[in-house]
Amino acid sequence: MSDLALKVKGLEKKYHEQTVVFPIDLELQTGQVLALCGGNGAGKSTILKMIAGIVEPTQGSILVDHLSWDKNRKEYAKKIGYMPDHFSLDISLTVRELLHYYARLKKVPGQEVDKVLEKVGLVSAQNKSLESLSKGMRQRFVFAQAMLGSPKLLILDEPTNGLDPYWMKSFVDMIRDLKKENQAIIFSTHHLDIAEETADLVVFLHEGKVMESGSLAELKQQYNNLSLQQMFTRLFFQT
Amino acid sequence: MDIFTIMKNEIKLGFRNPWAYSFLAIFTLVSLSLLFIQSGPISDLNQYTKTTGTFMNLILYLLPLMTLLLGALSITSEKEDGRWNLLSTYPLSSFAFIAGKYAGMFIVLSVIISFGFGLSGLISAFMGQGLSFYTVLWIFIFSILLILLFLGMAVWIGAVSKNRWQALTISVGIWFLLVLAWPILLIAGLSQLPYASIQPTLEILIFFNPAELVRIFVTLYMGGGHIFGPEYYQWIEWFHKPAGALFFMLVCMVWVLGSVGLTIWKWERNRRHV
Repeated sequence: MSDLALKVKGLEKKYHEQTVVFPIDLELQTGQVLALCGGNGAGKSTILKMIAGIVEPTQGSILVDHLSWDKNRKEYAKKIGYMPDHFSLDISLTVRELLHYYARLKKVPGQEVDKVLEKVGLVSAQNKSLESLSKGMRQRFVFAQAMLGSPKLLILDEPTNGLDPYWMKSFVDMIRDLKKENQAIIFSTHHLDIAEETADLVVFLHEGKVMESGSLAELKQQYNNLSLQQMFTRLFFQT
Repeated sequence: MDIFTIMKNEIKLGFRNPWAYSFLAIFTLVSLSLLFIQSGPISDLNQYTKTTGTFMNLILYLLPLMTLLLGALSITSEKEDGRWNLLSTYPLSSFAFIAGKYAGMFIVLSVIISFGFGLSGLISAFMGQGLSFYTVLWIFIFSILLILLFLGMAVWIGAVSKNRWQALTISVGIWFLLVLAWPILLIAGLSQLPYASIQPTLEILIFFNPAELVRIFVTLYMGGGHIFGPEYYQWIEWFHKPAGALFFMLVCMVWVLGSVGLTIWKWERNRRHV
């Protein structure tokens, strides 16, 4: 029996009277994956940052595992794992050192570090400095820190950015494995093939507005079995 | 405790930062110069002299600038590089983050200056030219106090700056104002006041400049009060009494707690306003 991992209601963000995210509702059960799809400036990252507690919403409410950031910030933080889009690592540290640092801050036992290193396939690189890692390995490192403490909800902002096809495939496999472990995941992407392979729910965004949303199966039915890429083309270029 | 985790990481990063070693090399060179002065024809370093004054001025130019730059850039880079964005999603308070970074940087800078003075002390002992313990101790205290006070300002600059360039500009500006331009500004400003207001204004202004505050306090305690001239010395002589020392410590505490507290407040206020 699944339970509610994320409930977003009327979430809106304005910067100086300019609306960057129009009111949006989202619901995500444990074991489900939601993909926020859209081009640059669609509002994907802003939505994820609001859920992660980095950006204050102008209006609306966010509950992660029935907790709100405003009422219990520390407990809320323990329920989420966030993978940022843009992030410079402390490159003078090793993979293991920095993960241990993050684990301590998340109040997670040190053994968790070994578990996540195993999951993202960085065991052999654990004593290497972050400076020496490839882009793909760094992405996996950032993904690993998000998984520390087995949070209820994983928030991944453009997790496949800059990854080569091999690591894209690895990412898909990791997401599938996490789904089997009943992990709730929300991620943003403009790789629609990745969304198609992993997501249960899909939201198409354009300039902060929801253009289309629903379960992948519903959307497929509604659009005569088109791929997400074809749906995107129809939604944004043929209307 | 999160403060200790942040502090330990800051120490680790500090000692892996090439900047720290450049600073260590410069500071060691400066402290070794104290030793060479001692071994030269001017060897009157057992009390406050023009030579010790010059040496203190050298530290006064170097240490606040280094502290401001290292501290401010360290804090600003957390924002600019997105590391704070990530940590703000953790169960971590702004208090623990800023206080931990302050403590970590303080330890790194203190180790650097201790190394410099320690090396001078060792070489001096080896060469049989015992530097006056009293002089070295006071100059060491002088350096530690400058780090404590200017690091507080540095973290505040880091918190209010949007990027590294801004942090760099503000740091250099503040250093210029408090260390280089202060006497000129003081003379220019005070000369416009009625004579009766000069003394209280001057006494109050001392507390607004940590460089001047520490310099006056340490100079007085090293027996160099005469350099201020009879009238000025009379005005600041109270510093040299036990109550004056206590008051000085209190002012230092207010500076450190005030600047770090203000930084925490600013950091927390900006927390969700990206």
